[in-house]
Amino acid sequence: MEIFTLWLWPLLALILLPGLLVYFGLHVVERGIIFVDLALAQIAALGICVAIALGAHPGHDALPYVLSVVFTLLGAALFAWTRFDHPRVPQEAIIGIIYVVAAAAATLVLSHSAEGDEALKNLLVGNVLLVTKAEVLRTFALFAVIGAVHVLLRRKFLMVTFHEEQAKLKGVALRLWDFIFYATFGLTVVSFVQIVGVYLVFSYLIVPAVCGALLSANIRTRLIIGWIVAFIAGVSGLLLSVKLETLDLPTGPTIVCCFGVMLIVTALAMLARNGRGATT
Amino acid sequence: MKSTIRILAAAFTLCAASRASAALHVVATTPEYGAIASVIGGDKVVVTNLAKATEDPHFVDAKPSHIVTLNRADVLIEGGADLEAGWLPPLLDGARNPKIAVGAPGHIRANEQIQLMDVPATLDRSQGDVHAAGNPHFMMDPVNAKIVAAHIAKVFCSLDAASCPAYTANVQAFTAKLDGKISDWTAALAPFKGTPIVTYHPTWKYFAARFGLVSDLYLEPKPGIPPSPPHLADVMKKMNDEKIRVVLVEPFQSRKTAEAVADRTGAAVVDVCQFPGGLPGTANDYIALMDADVKAIIAGFTAKK
Repeated sequence: MEIFTLWLWPLLALILLPGLLVYFGLHVVERGIIFVDLALAQIAALGICVAIALGAHPGHDALPYVLSVVFTLLGAALFAWTRFDHPRVPQEAIIGIIYVVAAAAATLVLSHSAEGDEALKNLLVGNVLLVTKAEVLRTFALFAVIGAVHVLLRRKFLMVTFHEEQAKLKGVALRLWDFIFYATFGLTVVSFVQIVGVYLVFSYLIVPAVCGALLSANIRTRLIIGWIVAFIAGVSGLLLSVKLETLDLPTGPTIVCCFGVMLIVTALAMLARNGRGATT
Repeated sequence: MKSTIRILAAAFTLCAASRASAALHVVATTPEYGAIASVIGGDKVVVTNLAKATEDPHFVDAKPSHIVTLNRADVLIEGGADLEAGWLPPLLDGARNPKIAVGAPGHIRANEQIQLMDVPATLDRSQGDVHAAGNPHFMMDPVNAKIVAAHIAKVFCSLDAASCPAYTANVQAFTAKLDGKISDWTAALAPFKGTPIVTYHPTWKYFAARFGLVSDLYLEPKPGIPPSPPHLADVMKKMNDEKIRVVLVEPFQSRKTAEAVADRTGAAVVDVCQFPGGLPGTANDYIALMDADVKAIIAGFTAKK
């Protein structure tokens, strides 16, 4: 069975790793900060670009990794700090601005380096087919730690996202909790982007959370629906891509399209249920 | 039901037989190696190329078929001079095939017997040959193609001794045909000896050195870096000073940049390619490709403006 020899680690990566992304997706959709993952990934990329400009080589030196983490934390601080209630400026606009400036700055920093293009591409365009055992295990360990932090402190995180007014009344330090949220989220996104690429990270964050929200108001139910959606889309996308040898579909885009199908199926399920509810 | 099973069984046997009859499964990273391997192997080999002719060989996106093909391969041919360094190693890891692992007899590094140009002065030997950089576009010199063809034939012979006489005959025929063509191309390009050309990337240095052209002006400020306005201004000034008439561009490079430069200097944009199949009528044929490239460049030199 090729699926368990050639494709074992891609398969495990798609089963083990997205769980945490789906959970973060609930927060991201509720907060209405849909593009924050792209902005954080771009800020981390800027960190790597600065390291390259300073003469470090990604994959050989520690500096690129260290700077990508430092920049991610700076980005987390920036997003926590820009959570304000301005009547005319939504936070999504600020996120967009941070994204485009970080992308342009990365290009400027790298304009005199030969490896630049490749490094940027490697950071943002992962390919799940090429994931190694070491990458899956390392990332799973990191996700387990981050997941544990969020399980232990779930009341605070959920309150800050879903019941902001209540949190303010109770005097919860919003900025601090936001910073911890963005910092853990940023580390998750940056490690997952390198395995599966930007498009897939975006799909894993948003589609399962939206499917869950379409079908339920309860957070726990949404999370479970999201996990099921992510599992089916990821595994069926990988299988379609490697089994349909004549078509030879690239894996990432196949999985993204499976997510699209899952969203349609969920929407139909919702319509069918509502229709039944109306007639009875 | 029974007949269905019988048909399936027959089909399966047929598939297995067709696979067994082809002695060697050969994978080439880029199409020029695939084309030469097909000529040498004839019907004794099945050749698959990983990169398309119109794809930048520095960046190839991994598809499932790449890994499956590598997993079933007996021979892998790569350029070896870091051209595929960005994408081949992870594919090889994924393929888990000891027959074509680095250092295995089935793993051919085409650059091994080639004298590379542009080798950096401070080459760190302590890192082994992993960073043995140098300009990897050596196949644009057809004399190097002869060396690589002999190298491929030798490896085919060592892996499949029964078909060795066929491989040897094929490589001799290929070399003889190429020798004739090299004299034709040399004669055709002789009137343009010393003529400078502008290229997008330092792809045509070996070609220029072989046929007496001068290639030291590039649209890229450094290999792999997109053209910047000050650099292009500098290139255009030199083109005007030295009366350079042609800008060579390949399918995966920015034709728009080449056109803008040619437009402002009165030069002609010449479409060329380093891979068989990148120009019409050159699919899987190294000699046809070089023929098309030589003709296109001469047409560029003689174009009236």
